[in-house]
Amino acid sequence: MNRMSSQSRKITYLIIIVCLLVGIVFLGMPASSEEGSGGRLAQLRVKHNLGEGSLGKVDPSSTTMNLLLLGLRGVATNLLWMEANEQQDHKNWAQLRTTVDSIILLQPHYTKVWRFQAWNLAYNVSASWDAVADRYFWVKEGIKFLINGSNRNLDNPELLWDTGNFMGSKIGRSDEWKQFRQYFYVDPEPRLNGGVDPELNPARKDNYLVAKDYFLLANDAEEKDPDKQHIMANILFRHYPVRAQFDYPMALQREGIFDQVTTEAWRVGYDEWTGKFGRELFDTETDGGWVVLEASDDDITRLAQQDGVSETLKREWVDRYQKMVNYIFWRTQARVEREELTMQAHRELYQGEQAFKESRMSEAQELLESGMAKFEKVMTQNDSLLLEDDAIEEALNAVLIWQHVHELEGKQVPANYPLKPLWDSQQERVQVLTNEFRREYGIK
Amino acid sequence: MSFDPQPYNVLLALGHWLAVFGSCLGIAFFVAFMTGVASGRAGAVIGAVTSSFSDFFSTSCRRIGAVALLTFQESKRRKALYVFFVFAALFMFAGWFLSNPSNRPELQAKSYIVFVLTAISWLILPVMLLLSCWGVPEDIRLRSLHTVVTKPIRRHEIVLGRMVGYISVGTIVLLLMGVIGYVWIFRQIPDEAKPSLVARVPVYGTLTFINREGKQGSGVNVGDIWDFRSYVEGATKARAVWTFDDVSEQRVGDQMVLETKFEAFRTHKGNMEKGLLARFIFVNPVKNISLPGKPFEVKEYQDATLVIDRKMTEVDEQTGELKSFDLFNDLVYTDPEDGGNKLRVEVQCLDAGQYLGMARPDLFIRLADRPFAVSFSKSVLGIWLMMCMIVMLGVSVSCFVKGPVATLAVFTFLIIGQGMREFMGRVVTGQEHGSGLVESIYRLVYHLNPTVEIDDSAATKVMFGIDQIFKKLLWLVQHIIPDFGVFRMSPYVANGFDVSWEAAMVPCLLITLGYALPCLLIGYYTLRFRELEAK
Amino acid sequence: MSQENVIEIKNLSKIYRDFWGRPKVQALKSLSLDVHKGEVFGLLGPNGSGKTTTMKLLLGLLFPSSGEISVLGKPAVDVDKNEKIGYLPEESYLYRFLNADETLDFYGRLFNMSKAQRVERSNQLIESVGLQHARRRQLKEYSKGMTRRIGLAQALINNPDLVLLDEPTSGLDPLGTKDMKDLILKLKDEGKTVVMCSHLLADVEDVCDRIAILYQGELKTLGRVDQLLESHEETNIRTSQLSPEAIKDVEAALAKHNASVKRVDHPRTTLEELFLKTVEESQARPGQRYVPPEQGAEAKTTEQPVASK
Repeated sequence: MNRMSSQSRKITYLIIIVCLLVGIVFLGMPASSEEGSGGRLAQLRVKHNLGEGSLGKVDPSSTTMNLLLLGLRGVATNLLWMEANEQQDHKNWAQLRTTVDSIILLQPHYTKVWRFQAWNLAYNVSASWDAVADRYFWVKEGIKFLINGSNRNLDNPELLWDTGNFMGSKIGRSDEWKQFRQYFYVDPEPRLNGGVDPELNPARKDNYLVAKDYFLLANDAEEKDPDKQHIMANILFRHYPVRAQFDYPMALQREGIFDQVTTEAWRVGYDEWTGKFGRELFDTETDGGWVVLEASDDDITRLAQQDGVSETLKREWVDRYQKMVNYIFWRTQARVEREELTMQAHRELYQGEQAFKESRMSEAQELLESGMAKFEKVMTQNDSLLLEDDAIEEALNAVLIWQHVHELEGKQVPANYPLKPLWDSQQERVQVLTNEFRREYGIK
Repeated sequence: MSFDPQPYNVLLALGHWLAVFGSCLGIAFFVAFMTGVASGRAGAVIGAVTSSFSDFFSTSCRRIGAVALLTFQESKRRKALYVFFVFAALFMFAGWFLSNPSNRPELQAKSYIVFVLTAISWLILPVMLLLSCWGVPEDIRLRSLHTVVTKPIRRHEIVLGRMVGYISVGTIVLLLMGVIGYVWIFRQIPDEAKPSLVARVPVYGTLTFINREGKQGSGVNVGDIWDFRSYVEGATKARAVWTFDDVSEQRVGDQMVLETKFEAFRTHKGNMEKGLLARFIFVNPVKNISLPGKPFEVKEYQDATLVIDRKMTEVDEQTGELKSFDLFNDLVYTDPEDGGNKLRVEVQCLDAGQYLGMARPDLFIRLADRPFAVSFSKSVLGIWLMMCMIVMLGVSVSCFVKGPVATLAVFTFLIIGQGMREFMGRVVTGQEHGSGLVESIYRLVYHLNPTVEIDDSAATKVMFGIDQIFKKLLWLVQHIIPDFGVFRMSPYVANGFDVSWEAAMVPCLLITLGYALPCLLIGYYTLRFRELEAK
Repeated sequence: MSQENVIEIKNLSKIYRDFWGRPKVQALKSLSLDVHKGEVFGLLGPNGSGKTTTMKLLLGLLFPSSGEISVLGKPAVDVDKNEKIGYLPEESYLYRFLNADETLDFYGRLFNMSKAQRVERSNQLIESVGLQHARRRQLKEYSKGMTRRIGLAQALINNPDLVLLDEPTSGLDPLGTKDMKDLILKLKDEGKTVVMCSHLLADVEDVCDRIAILYQGELKTLGRVDQLLESHEETNIRTSQLSPEAIKDVEAALAKHNASVKRVDHPRTTLEELFLKTVEESQARPGQRYVPPEQGAEAKTTEQPVASK
């Protein structure tokens, strides 16, 4: 180099710079709107769907942050994560929330971060608060966090499924489910003036129906790219929308609502279960080939022929898949529950119990008797119900209360009454239920 | 929400300062004297020390002012004030990051306040650090200092002038930032969060516990990792006992405001729709009065305010008579041992099987509020004092090392002083297991974890002996490095408190003052005994 | 000698050491000299001869390795002496972001002068160094000559008794050089002592009363300029341009008086000759050093072996 004149050195530099520039342009030129334009990297980005824009809503602050940190964002995230842990230990919730937001600015496309932190907010932080309204606030924070995550990561089935799951189970199945479900319509946050939280429930729907919407979105996303879903077996993942549809009337019944809406919900559920989910084709990825859950004999024959396997094997696989999602149970349940008679039976038994609790004994006796008769009818029409624990327990409980009402009124329990055969055949269970009943009502 | 201001022990601090300062001074003089003796010029060393006194006595404000003004002009030339524009730009966009309308109002206010104060300190401190660490070395490198020292200016005047100059630059920028930050908080914060912009003046008491058997004891740990709060069991004799000092009519007024923030822990669901029930009991142990207040519901993580009227009544259970009590005449008592106007408040949880968690700052008497501006400006003053510290350290360190080294050194001070002092303290006091230097090496080599006992032998005794020396050195280092954590006053402001005079302002002021003299001396002696020309 | 000494240097040595304290360069070797009150004293020497080191030792910017220096009756490191000293550094080491007014104001403050005094003095000085037109411009925009002038103004702000000038004329054009020389002579007239160091011999010759020539840290020659330059063996005749015939006539005339023409050329500066001779001699006989006379004794040159490193 020393021997070169300064002139020729400059020319060498120039040539090197030009070479590098050409390389950079070839590799890194950004794409224009034209198809296939841009440098090699831009084309690869399009090909593998890696562009920020294609991953979801682009947050300018997040991109800037990542640029500023150069390669250190992993380290920065770790530090923030540790800080978040400490803030959680020290119950510093406000700061925790902002720290989590900062983490997400750094790792906007790391699904696990979204899922973990959302869970933490909705379950752990929420449980640390004493007042139910406060707990609900943090459940919402977790859900909103997930929705935000879905916006940043379009077509991510896991985040969508989590959103559905939080909307459904967290709100509908927590210890505080009664209040939570109510809050879903009438939010306790003062700024919402007793309305819904538009971020969660803009259409003022039941939480399970909102959950169903998210499960459907999750299914759509999963259909686009099944490899993006690592939570559970494909068939389980697919059955969630209808499960949410079932959970909806079940929640209504728990709340004592036995009306047209409930029956209708069961009916929709039944149709979707058998007509839609039941007709979906699933690949067992084994010698079982393709299966369908709502399989007629014709279906079995056709599928067996198509995959070139025996009908027995095909039936085995269908059976195995049905068991995975408890297919037959839910089908029976929905079929029975959608009937008007079933609803009446439920309603009368429920109202009878309420009347008993409120010491309206004769009314209780009347309602229970009528309900028991209807329940017996439903059961005889649907043999398979005789195998379902929930149904049996509901029936036996009604009989227990009915008998107790007789006792209190000083009457003799008649020798014959509706559901007596069931009562007699389930003596073991009756014993357990009697003890529970006595404990609940403080009867010695 | 671990907000627990501890009063500062001024005498202890002063003692520490004297010990550290004295021993450093002693060591420095001893080393200088011994080298003087070695080179046969012991007299010169003593002469130099005595002549430095005459230097200090001929200090001239005009000369200091000249250097300060020069420093100011120099900083202006270095575009130091541009940091202000970064600040402004940051604030233009900060709203994007911070606004979270779904957040609770008080949490929103908190985020905004913390952001403003953190932004101010993170912008101004590095700039001041760089400026102060590079000023003197650049001056020496460009030899402009050579011309200056051929004038009758004393070396400490140069050091002082530099410090004053940088501090005044920082003050101007800080003032601007403070005003803008304050206005910004007020403009950005939604209306519903505005009420949380206050400066509450708390009077904290001391907290002791009475256990479920009614004996003096401690609270229960319900399994929190964080052992900040202790819990009392409901519907038992367990009580949390607060004793407040100096409760007088003049201070409190006709209505006493008690503010609480308790934590609830349930062992069973209970009534989920209702908070746990608790009540206060005012106890005068001297007159044997015990006056229970009305039960109230505990709202977790929220400040609850209870206004207690001066006149209180109670129906006597036996006679059915209405008895009335006066807060200051009947309930406030003089302790036979300590004296003073004490007030004893006991807290009881009323729900059986449930627990109430409390820590010292969870109950306090709230005196009349001060405006938010007061606590905000005090907090800015805290940043200002920290800036002064950094400038002083920067200037004095840069008198004997070059710019980059000085920057690194002060930065290290800053980092250690912010977060690692505590750890060093634990090492020094032996709370940290297996923390001796030689001991750690020994344990590493022999794969012994810190809890394994080491055999007692002559060799290990020597080892521990050496570690003791290292620990003494570490003690010195730990005490030389300033505790920068004290200067962070944003928690006060963010939590809606006035910045406490005893717990925050006094220590900050004292620490700053405590470092001023040593920094000045270091700067003076290094400039004086350094050959400026030698490179 | 009857004069009062402003500067007294006795056996001054300076050894530059490296980081480990090992001697690197011996910049001054046992220098002894005095500067009398009211004289203009020149320190001469090629680059690296130790003249700037001497200057900095005088100012207390460096500490002597051995020997003693007293300036205005005080040790060199004493700050008080600075009250009466003015120093013009080699390159003007001033703050480049200040303008002329601010610069003089700044140094005025360092002398604890009141506002009125500062204003008066700086107006006076700016006028005398001829910078009226540029007083509001930042120093970084100044030309080399202007920088020297503001440097000089700065040195005189306190009306000093002793002025130390490091290369006062470097970078000045002939006119500026002349101004500077006039100024130095004016200072002398005012009774001030001036110590200057330079390698521009013409300047020194014109203004200095006494000079010292340093070479490789050793004092080679010291004395009054007129005495040192006085040559008893030669006579220099300067004429207007002569024709060859005229030169022949002159030669003939000289031959009559038993003298001869040794060389006919444009005359060289005599100090330059002295200087070159001194340097050449030092190179031929290293270790020879000029020792100033004790009170009343003759000056002499000693031959002294150099202590090897």
